[in-house]
Amino acid sequence: MPLTLEIVTPEARVYSDVIETVVIPTVQGEIGILPGHIPLLTQVTAGEMRVTTKDGRTEYLAVGDGFAEIDGDKVSVLAERAINEATIDEDAVQKAQARAEEALRTRDQLDPAEVERLEGIVRFSVAQLDLKRRRR
Amino acid sequence: MASTRDIRRRIKSVKNTRQITKAMELVAASKMKKAQSAALAGRPYAQLLASMLASLASRVEESAHPFLVKREVKTRGILLVTTDKGLCGPLNANLFKLVSEIKTPAKFVAIGRKGSQFLARTQRDLIADFPVHDRVPFNEVKVAVEFLMKQYLEGVVDTVEVIYARFKNTLVQEPIIRPILPLSNVAEFQALVDPKSVNADTRDMLFEPSAPAVLDALLPFYVNRYLYQVVLSAKASEHSARMVAMKTAKDNATKLVGELSLEYNKARQAAITQEILEIAAASFSAA
Repeated sequence: MPLTLEIVTPEARVYSDVIETVVIPTVQGEIGILPGHIPLLTQVTAGEMRVTTKDGRTEYLAVGDGFAEIDGDKVSVLAERAINEATIDEDAVQKAQARAEEALRTRDQLDPAEVERLEGIVRFSVAQLDLKRRRR
Repeated sequence: MASTRDIRRRIKSVKNTRQITKAMELVAASKMKKAQSAALAGRPYAQLLASMLASLASRVEESAHPFLVKREVKTRGILLVTTDKGLCGPLNANLFKLVSEIKTPAKFVAIGRKGSQFLARTQRDLIADFPVHDRVPFNEVKVAVEFLMKQYLEGVVDTVEVIYARFKNTLVQEPIIRPILPLSNVAEFQALVDPKSVNADTRDMLFEPSAPAVLDALLPFYVNRYLYQVVLSAKASEHSARMVAMKTAKDNATKLVGELSLEYNKARQAAITQEILEIAAASFSAA
């Protein structure tokens, strides 16, 4: 019984396919999901996801904070952001990170929701750059 | 019969109106496209979140989190999402009809100026209103939602419900009232949205790091996201309704101009005939 993986962000459905296995970064460390996994609901943290597709290839994705649910053969990941490794634009990411960090310098004047959002961007940027550099 | 000059003046004024409504239609159309795609893009996310919550809620005790506990309802808390500006057909009036049907004690929170004006006019208990811009930044909605959740946790209100115009398509926006808190009915609601996603696995569910931690993170997050989606939907409805209203106004103006032109031409023709008759009569009597 193969797994179905679905990654959804507020902007779009980033990934939806039948896969072999997937490794998800959670608040308690990375977890690998194989078919027949026990039902699980966990918090996802910014990091890299490794997906082994049906034909044995490995795909890499950077994800932001969110939640993951495993129910039967369905793996659903709900993340603030997610991007496939191939489409990461390193320059743009660095710029986004710099902008967010710049804005965070005056964090005392920002409201907590805004700070949370900016920190999310920074974590996601770090995850993207990390993934990109390691894959080179 | 009105004089030709009067008719000409009216034609000019109707043409001006048509130009304005046409411009407003175009503006609404472009805003509508953006708002619609935002509302539609967010739907899978909101649905998946709801389905996560449904499978969660069916597997934990009701007392695990204050958002899941059903209380005796003394005061309802209602979030009314309306537009800031008028000229969008019956959209707001339909929402107000829903509000008028509420007879039990309730406290209101408004998003949108029209709503807070209505609540003030009808002397209802408006506890706060929040402005949300056209682009619907998540943070602005979040402020309102955090406020509502706080009122709920402190016991000021015993439910949280939302009244808004649900976007179906450009021509149809449906005024609707949806319960948000307590979340006990989320399972039924989920079945309504997507009947095929019944829990596939009957084994006990594992929560990491722990059930309370996941609940604490997921439930407020869900409420935030869900209401954000509601506001997006309301905005899409607003711009669609406005576009349709302005298109109707423009078409009416065009029809009116046609009718007035006909009348004007008749009046002009009559005046010319009259003049010729008079000249002919004058030359007869002179001869």
